[in-house]
Amino acid sequence: MKRLLALYAVIAYAFLHLPLLILTVFSFNASRFTVWEGFSLDWYAAAVRDPQLVEAAFNSLVIAVVATVISTVIGTLCAYGLWKRGSRWFSGTLYLSLVTPEIVMGISLLAFYQWLFRFFGARLGMHTVIGAHVAFSIAFVVVVVIARLRTFDATLEEAAMDLGATEWQAFRSVTLPALAPAVGASALLAFTLSFDDYVITSLVAGVDSETLPMVIYAMARRGANPVVNAVSAFIVLGLTVLILAAEKLRET
Amino acid sequence: MKRRIFLMGLAGLAGCTSGRRPRLNVFNWSNYVAPDTIADFESEFGVRVRYAVYESNEEMLAKVISGNSGWDVVFPSNYFIRPMREQRLLTPLRHDWLPELSALRGTFRSPSWDPVLQWCVPYMWGGTGIVYNRKLTPPPASWSFLWDARLAGRITMLDDPSEVLGAALKKLGVSVNSTDPAQLRRAQQEALAQKPLLRAYLNAEVRDQLVAGDVLSAQLWTNTAQQALDGSPDLGFVFPSEGFPLYADNAAILRESRHPELAHRFINYLLRPRVSASIAGAARAATANGAAQALLPDAVRQNPTLYPPPEVLARGEWWETPPAAIQRLRDRLWTEIKSA
Amino acid sequence: MTRLRLYFLTPAALSLTLLFLAPLAIVLVYSLMNRGVWGGVELPYTVENYRRLLDPIYLGILLRSFLMAGAATLACLLLGFPLALFIARAGKRQSLYLHLVIVPFWTSFLVRTYAWMFLLRDTGLVNTALLALGFIREPLPLLYNSFAVLVGLVYGYLPFMVLPLYATLAKIDRSLLEAAADLGARPWQSLRRVIVPLAAPGIRAGAVLVFIPCLGAYLTPDLLGGSKTIMIGNVIQNQFTSSRDWPFGSAVSLAVMAVVMALLLGWLRREKERLL
Repeated sequence: MKRLLALYAVIAYAFLHLPLLILTVFSFNASRFTVWEGFSLDWYAAAVRDPQLVEAAFNSLVIAVVATVISTVIGTLCAYGLWKRGSRWFSGTLYLSLVTPEIVMGISLLAFYQWLFRFFGARLGMHTVIGAHVAFSIAFVVVVVIARLRTFDATLEEAAMDLGATEWQAFRSVTLPALAPAVGASALLAFTLSFDDYVITSLVAGVDSETLPMVIYAMARRGANPVVNAVSAFIVLGLTVLILAAEKLRET
Repeated sequence: MKRRIFLMGLAGLAGCTSGRRPRLNVFNWSNYVAPDTIADFESEFGVRVRYAVYESNEEMLAKVISGNSGWDVVFPSNYFIRPMREQRLLTPLRHDWLPELSALRGTFRSPSWDPVLQWCVPYMWGGTGIVYNRKLTPPPASWSFLWDARLAGRITMLDDPSEVLGAALKKLGVSVNSTDPAQLRRAQQEALAQKPLLRAYLNAEVRDQLVAGDVLSAQLWTNTAQQALDGSPDLGFVFPSEGFPLYADNAAILRESRHPELAHRFINYLLRPRVSASIAGAARAATANGAAQALLPDAVRQNPTLYPPPEVLARGEWWETPPAAIQRLRDRLWTEIKSA
Repeated sequence: MTRLRLYFLTPAALSLTLLFLAPLAIVLVYSLMNRGVWGGVELPYTVENYRRLLDPIYLGILLRSFLMAGAATLACLLLGFPLALFIARAGKRQSLYLHLVIVPFWTSFLVRTYAWMFLLRDTGLVNTALLALGFIREPLPLLYNSFAVLVGLVYGYLPFMVLPLYATLAKIDRSLLEAAADLGARPWQSLRRVIVPLAAPGIRAGAVLVFIPCLGAYLTPDLLGGSKTIMIGNVIQNQFTSSRDWPFGSAVSLAVMAVVMALLLGWLRREKERLL
């Protein structure tokens, strides 16, 4: 069965990566239409030279990292707290957050921010986007972490406390390490949600906080634009290198 | 001690950056400037420009309706000028800050939506018509071509309530700006009858598919149509015989703008014939700037898609702002068409 | 309630109240108002928006959306479970494989969707390959219909199924599987009777994380469905953009949310399980 699984995995990964392959191939297309006309690096040059793209990429990264850290921390703690003893208010609110369509979250936050800003003279900006991303990510983190917690043996913590640990110490040394894959998976999920978000971000972003999906969306809506492909291929490559480097660092 | 120096250094840096060049925030339609337009403005006037784009008037309005969006200059279509004025979103223009205004000629010097150009300056204009693949014979002449069952699955319409209803209204022989509920409902029936024949409701995305030959005929705006024609010799464009709508995008300054003078300078810069001609060439759009039009090469100036001859243009109708109740009805009819 | 638990729950409570509940309350108020002509809302208050919902047009779309979301969720489960299992068993390479699942999603959603449009078009890669291999004689209509939307949804939400599944599968006690094998269970049997039940919380989490966004999806049906095959997400989105009817959009959203909540809680109660 292990071999069957491996074979299946290859097919599954091919399915997942096929569009990526396509757009990478077309990022080298000399023509701007989707008819192959020759090899060219023009679009990569154009992408790097575009200050708007570079700034948007930077914004996206900053927002995603900050929002991921915040929401993963808040979400993990919340999941732990709920695991210890449920709370109808929390369950209800988190479920509600999951069933809310993105556009509704976006519009509601926009309205809320605008109302709030009347008292503070503030404007939409990076902080409003980060707030929005945290808002929609928390529920995802909680769901993933708590799913793992439900298969975790609570008596382990009790044993630790019997041996003299405080609640906090028991959490930190016993439970948290066991949660590592779940926390990691949910952080990855939160990062992806944030980095790729278009709907909510486009509604609550200010003039200064354009993100990559917004810029790409604007470019791509006008028809196939190989610069978009170049940027995407770039991003994927860059982030992959980063991940691999982080892995290497962790291993040493 | 070292820490204090470091902090003071930071403060000094922060102080330095506050002496930056002023910045203008411009919100425009996508693909509506030439590659060097913004950069040239920035270097000539020693300012920075933040330039972002949108795909529809509604998108732009949603952003600016709050009154503190941060944008300075926007480009509403002609039929959006009145609503924006009524919502008190625009600031009146000072002609003494717009010496290049004389470059506008003819209709665009005193357009119907703003006869004294108090609120906006016409920028680019266009119409809606039918792009078709030359394989199809005979070539289309009327809107009913897009209702032809033989082309089922290979035609598209614009994903725009006004345009779809407008084409249906024209097919019925009435004005695109009709305010008669009965006519609008009949137009809706036409649109509903057409829907099963359509491949999709697409805007600029259909350009690619026309070039590739997947789609044989599409309702499209003239500038996008021209881009498609550029991409393939097999495509042609026609303005339907019953008539067609015309639109014009205009530069306007938001009332919330903190840099009205700089905004005027920008609009004035866009009015320069050379600048406008360069934009028209890059965007493949028709410029409203008469002086710029004169600078264009003959092939472009006489392009029948972008600058239709007077007898064709006479069949066109400018979009008008409908009254509130009719706007509501149109919106509801569109929801029903989409939901069917 | 211990103090630690209180501290742990406070940040979440604050964030959710401020950034979610308060804004949602505003939407509730909007749903009871009238629309401004050019967008926005205005008085007087009314329940007309909710009454409009009972029109068979909208109920039909709602049903269609449920079916589509359900199909997508099932497909994600069937496709995602083996993959999550594979990753969970990959030993040292788990992290790498997990990242490989996510990496395609660091490209823009729109770009991925356009890549799919390119693949599924009449002159796209899939049809060209099938024609060249002689399996078909005319291009198959793979784009601008429900099939394309389904492919798009499955593709877009697979990680949401894989990640929670992986999180539970990764920590399944190996000794349980060994015990099952010792008792004579073949791999398929131990899969069905040991692994799957143990992975149940992950399956539940994944199903919820896929079904609900799929229900509210609008970009995918918009682009891959050609703006013709619309789901309830499109209706909602249209109201906030081209149709300029925020109150109606708010009403539809809240109604859909209420229905989904009811189904979700009903399902969980029947399973005698909790998700959160």
